[in-house]
Amino acid sequence: MTISMKLSPLITLSEPSASRSGEALEPAPPPQPWLLRLVRKPFFLLVILPSLLVAFYFYGIAAPQYVSEARFVVHSRGNDGGGPAAALRAAAGGALGGLGGAMSSGEANSIRNFLSSLDAVMQANEKLDLVELWRRPEADFLARIWFTEPERIARFFKHMVTVTLDPMTGVTTLQVRSFRPEDSKELAETLLVAAESLVNRLSERARGDTLRLAQQEIEVAERRVQESRAALVRFREQERELDSAGAVQAALVLRGQLEGALAQARAELTERQQFMRPDNPALQATRNRIEALERQISAERSRHTDSTANVGGAVLARQLAAYERLMLEREFADKQLASATASLETARMEAQRQQLYLSRIVQPNLAVYPLYPRSFTNTASIFLGLVIAYGIGWLLIVGMREHAA
Amino acid sequence: MSFKEEVALTLRGARMQRRVIGALIIRELHSRFGQHYYGYIWLFFEPLLLGSAIGLVHYLNDHSAIFGPFEFFAAGYILYFIFRGILNRATAAIRSNLHLLYHRTVTLPDIFFARHLIETISCIGVMFVFMFALFVVNGEMVEDPTKIILAFIGMALLTQGMALMAAAATEAMEGMERAVHAFTYLTLPICGMFFLVEWLPESLQELALYVPMVHLFELMRDGQFGSRFQAHYDLGYVAAWILVTHLLGLAALRITRQRLGLE
Repeated sequence: MTISMKLSPLITLSEPSASRSGEALEPAPPPQPWLLRLVRKPFFLLVILPSLLVAFYFYGIAAPQYVSEARFVVHSRGNDGGGPAAALRAAAGGALGGLGGAMSSGEANSIRNFLSSLDAVMQANEKLDLVELWRRPEADFLARIWFTEPERIARFFKHMVTVTLDPMTGVTTLQVRSFRPEDSKELAETLLVAAESLVNRLSERARGDTLRLAQQEIEVAERRVQESRAALVRFREQERELDSAGAVQAALVLRGQLEGALAQARAELTERQQFMRPDNPALQATRNRIEALERQISAERSRHTDSTANVGGAVLARQLAAYERLMLEREFADKQLASATASLETARMEAQRQQLYLSRIVQPNLAVYPLYPRSFTNTASIFLGLVIAYGIGWLLIVGMREHAA
Repeated sequence: MSFKEEVALTLRGARMQRRVIGALIIRELHSRFGQHYYGYIWLFFEPLLLGSAIGLVHYLNDHSAIFGPFEFFAAGYILYFIFRGILNRATAAIRSNLHLLYHRTVTLPDIFFARHLIETISCIGVMFVFMFALFVVNGEMVEDPTKIILAFIGMALLTQGMALMAAAATEAMEGMERAVHAFTYLTLPICGMFFLVEWLPESLQELALYVPMVHLFELMRDGQFGSRFQAHYDLGYVAAWILVTHLLGLAALRITRQRLGLE
C-alpha cells in the first residue's frame, strides 16, 4: 500500500461522512438540501454554530453596559518610608515626584486592594443595594447578578468593577460597569467616597500614632515640673527659708565680716600692746571685743556646719544640700519639658508630612454610549478559539484514526 | 458511515495509538540508555545533577536572595530542563526514527508524544525527589505542589507545540537545527529561570509577560513560595500559546509526513 493511498482519505476527514451519506442518498431522487448538508458538517456544529449563538447573544440579547470611569492619585506630602519595596518602586518610577509630593505607591496599592475587597463591596452594598443595581429589568439574563450572598456579590463585583494602578504615574483608574449610566456613576462615586474615607482613616492613624507618643512625653515632663515646684514650695514652707543659697551667702558674708573685725581687733591689740601698759583699760576693751568676736564666729560656725547642734540651731549645711537637690530637680524637669515640647513640634511637622491625600483627577462620568459588552471582540475571539481548538481536535482525531486504518 | 461507526473507529484508533506510544516509550528508553537499569537512573539523575549544580553555584555566589537561591535556581533549572530537553531533541527526532514510519501504525506525532512523555514524567519525578530532599533538609514544605505540577505539565505542552513546529521546520529547511539550538540558548535569560517578574522594573515586567515561559516559571514559584512574593501569571495566555503552537505544529507534521513519502 502506498502512503498516498493511506493518507488521501484522511486529509479530508470532514468530507467522508458527508460524501458517503451523499453517495448513499444520490440514488434517491430528493437530494439533501445544501443547508442540511452544511448543518451536518462537524465544523458547522462545533465552530460556526456556537459562534453564531455567541454573536446572536451579543448582538441580539445582551443588554448594553455603561462604564463610568474615575481616576485618582493617592499622595502624601512627605516621602513615604514604605520599606524597600516602595523605595524600589520609587527608583523604578524615576522622576515622578512632580505632583505636589511623592506618590505613595504603597498606599495606592492598599487603596486598590481595599476597592476590590469584600469590605468595600459591603460598604457599597449598604448604600446602594448592589443586587438591585445589577438586577435592573433591562439587564439580560446572562449578565445580571444571580446571587445575593455577600461573597458571590463580591465575585460579581470584581467582574464589573476594575481597579488598575499604573505604577509609572501612580494614577489609579476605577471602572464601574452597570446597566444604567446613572447607576455606574453613583457606584463609582460611592466607591470613591469609601476610598477617600479609608485614606483619611489611614492618615489619621499615622498622625495619631506619631503625635500620641510625643504627647505622652510632654505629660510626663509636665508632671515632673509640677512635682519639683511643689517640692520646692514645701521645702520653703517647712524651713521658713526662701532661698537657702542666699542664706548661706549671707551667713558667709557675715562670717567674713566677723573674721575681718576679729583680725582687725587682734591687730589693734598687738599694736596697742606695744605702747600701752598691760593693765590699760583700753587693752581690756579690745580683748573683750576679740573674745566676743571669737564667740560669735564659733557660734556661727556651729550653726552652719555642726550636725550635732541642737534643734534650735538649724543646720544650714543640710538645708543647703536639700535645697540644691530640689533646685537641680527643678532644672532637669524644666529641661525635659523643653525637649518634649520640641519633639512634639517635630512630630507635628512629621505628621503634617505624613498626611495622605486622595486627589481625584477624573470625576466619575455619566456614560452616554455603552462600551460593554464588547460584542465584536468577544465574538471574534470565541470564533478564533473554536477554530483553533477544532483544528487541533481534527488533527488529533485524524492521527488516532490513522492507527486504526 | 454513521456517527456511531465513526466514534467506534476513532476509539479503536485511540486505543491503538496508546499502545503504539507505550511501545515507543519502551523503545526510546532502550535506545537512549541501553538495557541496563543505571540507564534509567541516569534519566532521573541528569536533570537532578544539573539542577543541583546550578543551584549550588548560585548558592555559593549569592546569599542575599529572598528565597534560598538553591531552591530557586535548582527548581528553575528542572523546569527549564523540560523545555531544553524536548526542544533540543526534537530536531533529530524525525531523522533518527525515520525507519519506524515503515510501520503503518506509527505516525510522526506518536514519536514526539512518546519522547515528551518520558521527559515530562522524569522531570516531574525529579522535582518530587527534589522537593522531598528539601523537605528533609530544610524541614520546609513547598506551599502548593499542585501548582508546581501544573507548571510542569504546562511547560511540557507548550514545549511540545514548539517542538512539533521545530521538527517540521528542520525537515523543511537545512540548518534549522542550529537555529533551534540557538533559540533554546537565547531563551535562557528571558524565560524566567533567573528572575521573578516582581524583581523587574515596571517597563520590563510587561515585556517579560509576553514570554509564555515566564508565566509557567511564575506559576511554579507561586507553588514553591507563593506567600513570599507577588506572582504574575495568566494561564489563559499560556493556553492560547499551547493551542496555537499545537495547531501549527500538528499541521506542519502532516505536511512533513507527506513530503517524506516513504514507499
